[in-house]
Amino acid sequence: MHTETIKKRVPRFGSGRRLRSQLTLKDHLTGYAFISPFVLGFLMFTLIPIGASFYLSFTDYDLFTTPAWVGLDNFTEMFTGDQRYWNSVKVTFIYVFAGVPLRLAFALFIAMMLNNASKLIGVYRTTFYLPSIIGGSVAVAIMWRNLFGNEGAVNAILTTMGLEPVGWFADPLAALWMLIFLSVWQFGSSMLIFLAGLKNIPQSYYEAANVDGANAVQRFFKITLPLLSPIILFNAVMQTIAAFQTFVPAYIISKGEGTPMDGTLLYSLYLFRQAFVFFEMGYAAAMAWVILVAIAIITALLFLSSRYWVHYESKGG
Amino acid sequence: MKRLLMIILACTLVFALAACGGNNGPSPAANNGGSNASNNQGDGGQGNGTGEQEPDPVTLRMAWWGGQPRHDYTLKVIEMYEAANPHVNIEAEYASWDDYWQKLAPQAAANEMPDIIQMDLSYLTQYAEKGQLEDLTSYLGEQIDVTNISENAISGGKLDEAIYGFNLGVNTIQFQYNPELLKSAAGVDAIDPNWTWDDYAELSKQAAANGVYFDTGVKEDVFFHYYLRSHGHSLYHPTEPKLGYEDDALFVDFFGRLAANVQAGGTPTPDIRNQLAGNIEDDPVVKGEAIGIFQWTNQFVAVNNLAPAELEMQPLPGPDAEEGLYLKPSMFFSVSKNSEHKDEAAQFISFFVNDVEANKLINGDRGVPVSSAVKEALKDSLSPEQAKIFDFIAWAENNSSPLSPPDPLGSAGVMDALKSWVEKLDFGNVTAEEAAAGFRADAEKALERAQN
Repeated sequence: MHTETIKKRVPRFGSGRRLRSQLTLKDHLTGYAFISPFVLGFLMFTLIPIGASFYLSFTDYDLFTTPAWVGLDNFTEMFTGDQRYWNSVKVTFIYVFAGVPLRLAFALFIAMMLNNASKLIGVYRTTFYLPSIIGGSVAVAIMWRNLFGNEGAVNAILTTMGLEPVGWFADPLAALWMLIFLSVWQFGSSMLIFLAGLKNIPQSYYEAANVDGANAVQRFFKITLPLLSPIILFNAVMQTIAAFQTFVPAYIISKGEGTPMDGTLLYSLYLFRQAFVFFEMGYAAAMAWVILVAIAIITALLFLSSRYWVHYESKGG
Repeated sequence: MKRLLMIILACTLVFALAACGGNNGPSPAANNGGSNASNNQGDGGQGNGTGEQEPDPVTLRMAWWGGQPRHDYTLKVIEMYEAANPHVNIEAEYASWDDYWQKLAPQAAANEMPDIIQMDLSYLTQYAEKGQLEDLTSYLGEQIDVTNISENAISGGKLDEAIYGFNLGVNTIQFQYNPELLKSAAGVDAIDPNWTWDDYAELSKQAAANGVYFDTGVKEDVFFHYYLRSHGHSLYHPTEPKLGYEDDALFVDFFGRLAANVQAGGTPTPDIRNQLAGNIEDDPVVKGEAIGIFQWTNQFVAVNNLAPAELEMQPLPGPDAEEGLYLKPSMFFSVSKNSEHKDEAAQFISFFVNDVEANKLINGDRGVPVSSAVKEALKDSLSPEQAKIFDFIAWAENNSSPLSPPDPLGSAGVMDALKSWVEKLDFGNVTAEEAAAGFRADAEKALERAQN
């Protein structure tokens, strides 16, 4: 550490240009050395695998023998021959487009509740964030499965309320909703971002609105929502991308099979089954590229739509 | 301040490394220091522990599927082996049936398969033909003592003149039931040994009327295969990549009948079965909610130990049960191609199948032992339920037909398609005819795709 500080001083007060350039090179090397863990990691674990998967998507590859080039066969099969593929697309779209808005709405709702000054605010914030920390874990998915089991807590509550118990694992759509509820419950990270956004809205706007006699609903729709819209966009994009990639809960809750009747066979789960149960690695790679393109298009659409509903204060004045 | 930061950074790194080490526990990268977690932590980031002074300490990884009782006694057998061979350290990796295969595939792809792998007949072709398994022929009579093991038993793991798995025991399918519940819920004292599928449906109806399940469903591919065999066919065509039966009426007859039982309440619906899968403690038979269970003989003891009454055994429904029934190697131990200690792995297998004390712990859970010496030695110490299994296997030897060839490539896709179509059928979403046609289409596609 000490040597470093000295080195930094030397060029500043040093005499020769040569010394400076030498040190710069050394500095460069040091810099590269410091970022090398990332660069190497990125190359080895991201860039090269991405390239490999692109190649594999045009092959028939069973994990053990050499990949055989099949051109566009995987894609043709996917789009024209594979009914389960389209079912998994349908299931995933329901999951994403029902789950993300619900999750965001819920996150915003809780964030607004927490935005009120309170001594216990720290405790509340932590408590509400907890499900997100443990949310992706296996334990939560197992707990969820037991909660919704035929003799689980959810059905027990429904029964005491005089309602019919639901066969959460018997009906494909019910099982999917169970997954959606799990994703809604993990609203913590969006909530924190909303909370930060809410804190950024100047209190004076609300005061002015109060003076003008606006009620709470008007204040929410005329002030909070427009000023928060960039944050909503951000959250919507991030959550949509994440939701498309959901795997763990579907895998655990359906014991890796997407049961019942493929009702929880999310895209990534089907991809996993193609790869590691049926050993159709090439097909799985092709599926991965299709979902990548699909996510890119949907994200682009979200951004394009933003000009109609996102309000940037700095631009509009 | 900077020093403090450095210390924090150093600590973070150490923890990160330690975490990596912990995750890698069961992999070969783990140190030789020992198999338990506390030992790993003790060694910290220093890599290989000092280890024992033994010459050439060897660490073997061994993987199997099963339930808790099997995990418990297998770990004891491993301890026994380690005590007798102090230079060998065996790391156990165990899981339930489904998880096991989903974990093994990526390991195979990464050349990281455990040294000793428990293998099933339905996956043997897949792993053997893809060059993942070692041919054990040259180990027979060398590392693996086969003096008391018949040629017939060994050839159970044979594929293209090579032995890719060592047979651990003989197994067959049967119906295991609770006689007390049978009497109270179905109104009969015992089931006729020559019962038919019609008798079965009748009993199922009886049980359902009394609010009890008759059985807990069947493993689709195994029992459909049995049914097809009893009609002179098989699930897979012996040579070509297609199904082994032409007439979809067989499917309709078999699964249509089972689905009717499900809808009548004699068999649990698929959602309940899915929730139970792999959890013997919650099995309806154990909880006294079902009369019996269709399964393998080696699974009898585990269920019987937990069941509310002493279970009885019963051959499968006929007609022509003899043509349908077969003796099967319950499972194999295979040695992976990527193993660096194949000799040591083979020696462990030899111990596992030949050692009498070890087999007293194993107690036939992996099938009736293949070694005649072990069988002889166990005779006196057999528990009553164990004796029942040995007797049943002896009976089956005279009342069964030869085994069909191992499942072909693509069988995973076929099993999946079958399960999925039967599920739809059991829920009443499709007719039996639709399921039969749908299954045929999906299955033949899976088989064809696996050929390329």
